[in-house]
Amino acid sequence: MMTGKEYIESLRKYRPKIYFMGRRIESVADDPITAPHVNAAAMTYELAHDPRYEDVMTAVSHLTGERINRFNHIHQSTEDLVKKVRMIRVLGQKTGSCFQRCVGCDAMNAIYITSYNIDRKYGTEYHERVRQYIKYVQKNDLMPAGAMTDVKGDRSKRPSQQADKDLYVRIVEKREDGIVVRGAKAHITGAVNSHEIIVMPTRALEADDKDYAVSFAVPVDAEGVKMIFGRQTNDLRRLDGDMDCGNAKYATVGGEALVIFDDVFVPWERVFMCGEYDFAGELVEVFATFHRQNYGACKVGVADVLIGATANVAEMQGIARASHVVDKITEMIHLAETCWCCTLACSYEGFRTPSGAYMPNQLLANVTKLNITRFPYEWSRIAQDITGGIVITLPSEKDYRNPETRDLIEKYLKGVAETPTEQRMRMIRLVENLSIGAELPESMHGAGSPQAQKIMIARRSNLEMKKEMARIIAGIKEDEHFRKIRGVTEREFFSKLK
Amino acid sequence: MRIAVKYCGGCNPSYRREEIEEVLRKYFQVSYADSADLIVCISGCKKGCAAERARGEFLHFDEKIKEEEIVRKVKEKLLLK
Repeated sequence: MMTGKEYIESLRKYRPKIYFMGRRIESVADDPITAPHVNAAAMTYELAHDPRYEDVMTAVSHLTGERINRFNHIHQSTEDLVKKVRMIRVLGQKTGSCFQRCVGCDAMNAIYITSYNIDRKYGTEYHERVRQYIKYVQKNDLMPAGAMTDVKGDRSKRPSQQADKDLYVRIVEKREDGIVVRGAKAHITGAVNSHEIIVMPTRALEADDKDYAVSFAVPVDAEGVKMIFGRQTNDLRRLDGDMDCGNAKYATVGGEALVIFDDVFVPWERVFMCGEYDFAGELVEVFATFHRQNYGACKVGVADVLIGATANVAEMQGIARASHVVDKITEMIHLAETCWCCTLACSYEGFRTPSGAYMPNQLLANVTKLNITRFPYEWSRIAQDITGGIVITLPSEKDYRNPETRDLIEKYLKGVAETPTEQRMRMIRLVENLSIGAELPESMHGAGSPQAQKIMIARRSNLEMKKEMARIIAGIKEDEHFRKIRGVTEREFFSKLK
Repeated sequence: MRIAVKYCGGCNPSYRREEIEEVLRKYFQVSYADSADLIVCISGCKKGCAAERARGEFLHFDEKIKEEEIVRKVKEKLLLK
């Protein structure tokens, strides 16, 4: 297993084509725009070597028997699913950000499960390819990014109906030695600082969309792969010192990129689905279940940091003992732990798939994520409420460093006497970072927008059963147990009272 | 051939579990005994609690399934015995 430092060094061996603000990023490990995201991902490597965290950070590979980083593990039990979310919460706490590596973990588990089912139906050999690929990833402790979301064009049309056929990633050529793919994937977390990219379809497909039913893996610097790194609110503050970002070391959310596949060749041994359109929906659903499970852990880990930051600000401003502040911080904790309950529940209620790998309960994983589209807005609102207007009016680090204004800021932005002004400023900036900007829309749309979860919840819950329960309780349908309890029917029992 | 049915606790089933038993009763002799020619475990969801303590030969259902599929699977299992 690599250490954090070795992971950063490993990135320097790759030459991905990454563009940002009209220039090419030459070294993702060293560029000030991408380096904080690299640091966050490096934490997933570093903690695997810390005895205080190795129980959740590592696992024993069922493929090789070797101890591996848990992010590259195929879950073999519900306990593995629980340990995954425990690991993810810890990493949220250690980085206050997105550490990106869960997407590749979920992609590997999803293709492991689905490729097995494809092979059972069609007699193909995808599952063995997936196993060999995962062994390679485990042996080299690589970080694959998971790429699912296509750019989609006209959302009212299926992939094959689009005016431009490249708006979903597709197979443009099948060769003796592999396939050639074209298209683009949007919002790909950690893509720029991964070693590999695992591509999956983004939606259920029909026969006409056969060419879009494709899953494969390529190195990030494969010929034809280009990435355009997305802008974030306040991203250029990274060039202005270490205070104004709020979280200068690890940034905020994952550092997402538009990943373009410009006629990329993929050898057959790295192709995991090729035309089996009837399994595209299953692959999406399995991946989404894993990824929605995560959000009740990573966002809660980040919430732990925000709750701590808010409580620190309250102390620094002399309001920590005010009863409404105590109540509001308790409310933040309640919201975060409610989400944690959801992610633990969907993990403990997980099940074994025909492949032998385990996956979480789909209904509860979607409930987990739907709560995450809402609760972070509320805990962020409370953080802003307690912090006060200063969360959006604080002077810059440059003014704090300027000899002409430093003393004025020191004097007039002082809170309680014991707290240095700089510490108060740093804590307010952290609240700003965690409660304003990219963090919230990422909670909304990461792992799928709220309506996607609503659809799954409606599909996976048993409304007919609930209607029948109501009919029984309301006395419309016979209650078989009541008759056994009382020895007579409801009608006979209540007729005595009339 | 005697079939014994074992249910999970039924806390949040994704379908009406009793449908499986109703189909079985149409074609086989069904009881809730501990031993039979075949144990059929009926779970309400993929968690599969009904099968957690099952030992030996058993068949497990954990989702809504067509009548002919239920019968086919049971017969297949009984023939293997």
